[in-house]
Amino acid sequence: MNRFFNLPLQKKIVGIYMGANILIFIVNIFLIFGINIMAQEMEMVYHDNRQLNALSEAIADVQDSMTVYLSSKTTDSLENYYNSAQKFQNLSEAIGVQVTDESFSRMRRNIKYMSENYLSEVSLTIEAKRGRNVEKYRNHYEKSTELYDYINAYISSLNIEQFVSNSEHYTELASAFRTFELVSVAVLTLVMIGNIISIIIIVGMLIRPLKDLADSADEVATGNFDTDLPEPLYHDEIGIVIGAFNKMVVSIKEYIVRLRESMEKERDLQEKELMMETHLKDAQLKYLQAQINPHFLFNTLNAGAQLAMMEGADKTYEYVQTVADFFRYNVKNQETEVTIKEEVTLVDNYIQILNVRFSGDIKYEKQVDKRLLKTAMPSMTLQPIVENAVNHGIREMGDKGVIKLKVYREDSNVCISIGDNGKGISQEDIDKILGGSFAHKEEQYEHNGIGMDNVISRLRLFSERPDVVDIKSEGPGKGCEVIIRLPLPADE
Amino acid sequence: MHGHNFLLFTTVLFTIATLVVGALVFRFYMEDFRKSGEVNEYDKYYVMITDSYKADFWQSVYKGAFEAAKEQNTYIDLLGENLDRQYSCEELMKIAIASKVDGIIVYANESDEMTNLINEATQEGIPVVTLYGDNTHSGRISFVGVGSYNIGREYGRQVFNIIKEKRREDFKDSEKMKQRKSMEVTVLVNTDAQDSGQNIIISALQETLSQENATNSEFNISVVPVDNKNAFSVEESIRDIFLNEKIPDVIICLNELNTVCAYQAVVDFNKVGDVSILGYYDSESIVSAIDKGIVYATISIDTAQMGQYCVEALSDYHEFGTTSQYFTADVTLINGSNVADFLKKEEIDE
Repeated sequence: MNRFFNLPLQKKIVGIYMGANILIFIVNIFLIFGINIMAQEMEMVYHDNRQLNALSEAIADVQDSMTVYLSSKTTDSLENYYNSAQKFQNLSEAIGVQVTDESFSRMRRNIKYMSENYLSEVSLTIEAKRGRNVEKYRNHYEKSTELYDYINAYISSLNIEQFVSNSEHYTELASAFRTFELVSVAVLTLVMIGNIISIIIIVGMLIRPLKDLADSADEVATGNFDTDLPEPLYHDEIGIVIGAFNKMVVSIKEYIVRLRESMEKERDLQEKELMMETHLKDAQLKYLQAQINPHFLFNTLNAGAQLAMMEGADKTYEYVQTVADFFRYNVKNQETEVTIKEEVTLVDNYIQILNVRFSGDIKYEKQVDKRLLKTAMPSMTLQPIVENAVNHGIREMGDKGVIKLKVYREDSNVCISIGDNGKGISQEDIDKILGGSFAHKEEQYEHNGIGMDNVISRLRLFSERPDVVDIKSEGPGKGCEVIIRLPLPADE
Repeated sequence: MHGHNFLLFTTVLFTIATLVVGALVFRFYMEDFRKSGEVNEYDKYYVMITDSYKADFWQSVYKGAFEAAKEQNTYIDLLGENLDRQYSCEELMKIAIASKVDGIIVYANESDEMTNLINEATQEGIPVVTLYGDNTHSGRISFVGVGSYNIGREYGRQVFNIIKEKRREDFKDSEKMKQRKSMEVTVLVNTDAQDSGQNIIISALQETLSQENATNSEFNISVVPVDNKNAFSVEESIRDIFLNEKIPDVIICLNELNTVCAYQAVVDFNKVGDVSILGYYDSESIVSAIDKGIVYATISIDTAQMGQYCVEALSDYHEFGTTSQYFTADVTLINGSNVADFLKKEEIDE
């Protein structure tokens, strides 16, 4: 079955057509065969009667020719006698001698033997006539005539009986023929119906994959690539088309996915680059704004420091020098990436300046794991956080304010913690700061221009992790701690 | 998919099945048709020749012979049955000889013509068995008949019974005693038959009567010839007897037809009770006539046995070249005393 369905479409269609035709052809052959048999039977019905009639005619010829010969002794009649006797003999020899239950067979047998006797009697008669033995030929003539009568009686009786029986047979045959007709028509009709149903089913089975394919193609055409793909059932042309279609749909789908992925990647990349650039530019812009004065200030401070040294005012010199370093860092540092050490130094300088300004009010505690100091981090991040802590945490606390800077390792992170014991911060504000929605007060004094949100954004971009900055506060008055977690570089 | 496959499979199977069944039906139909023409084939073919194939008696003998022959794969025909014309025994003999049958059973008589025909058949190598009527001078291999002497004695006893009954009646009526006349016993014999059997029957009858102490004055046996040469002469001959002045007291019939004719004549001439008929053969009508008291008694012959003996004789001859010269079939007397049993038996047979 499957082998047939795997044939090419053309062969399949031709196969179905031929199968149906052959079936009908076979039925017709049967019909013709049956009709032929019937016709033969019909032909044979009155065969026996014809045979008997021929026999009867032949024996009459023999008898007549003998009589004519006896009465006139002509050569013609003798010749006639020989011919007719030969003919009669041939006919009688053809008769069977079986003895059966059928009376016909026995009668035929008797006719045959009587005919033999009759022929020998007749030939004896003719012989005697030739020998002119009057007594003898009369005697034989009488005997043969007697036999002739018996044979005729037998033939006519048999003829009538057989006619009756044959007529019955004929009637039976005729009714059989009608039955045969009915059966044939029934068979032909049933075979036809079977044929039609088979063709409908087979053609349906052939066409169904094509329909499925059309449905799927429609779906795909509307843009639904996730439609159920039809299974190629057979390896015919339709099966090949379905296979090709399926492959095509799958590869289109794959291609689209790949395209989308690469586009997304590229966009991400571009976005990141853009953001980094934007933030840096933003920071630099702010610095530049801030540096307009610091450059000049830095030079001025340098001059002041030298003056203080010459005058022997060491403390003043140191202070001016620190301020100068602080501003120098700002001025020279155009790079986005620096080491933790540089940042920590900047914080040191910043605290020192503040302490001079606020006469040593701020306590600065520092716990630094020196092994981690070479770790890279974005520039200008720690100082704004410390500035924030001073401004918003401990400013109003006088000499009680403490700033703690810790650099330590935690798992695979390098942690930089900046804590204070100031007035703390509410969780609401922490969330706002981390979410980037805290309202700035740009015009605040002594602000170096870089806000927390800028710092956090840059740290996030740098580390590519959203939780890079954590702010902890145990409530109002209990201080605040900002922890930066940077990934440990791979070589350490 | 599976549903479709199944449907397709079923349809194709159904179609092929229809085709095959159609072809088979046709084939068996035709075979059946031909088979009706097929019949047994037999090795040998005998014929039975009688004067009238329609007679109950002969049909019954034929039936017995037919059954016996069939067992030996031989077919036996009652010759003349299938022919349009009525042929005499002699003509049928000629047909049988010309037909080269394997054996002839013939109801013969002692005529020379029959002797010649039997001899001719023997010359042709066809064994002939004479049945019921013999032809002693011929070369027939065997005779199958009834014990004529026994039949005669049975008739004698029955006649004596009738005489005794009459004696009793006469003694009761002294008037009659004085006018006692001898009982007229008429035996109907066929004219054509130089049949020794008939003579034996008559002599046995006489012998029995004298043995049974019947005085000669008490009975008088006469022989009335019945012309059976022509087709309907038997009936006329028998009626002639009743047209005579002196009607016999006892009529003894020696064949079935005579019995039936005599019985009908007695009824027609209103002589029931006056004339006692001693019949022959136990056809249905004769037995029922005994039951009604119209026929005094009849002889029942074991016809089946007779037929069997005929076939036996022929097949013995074919097998061993010789056979017993005489076969005698059993005879039984049926009269008023045992007719009921016979009727019962017939009913059972039917």
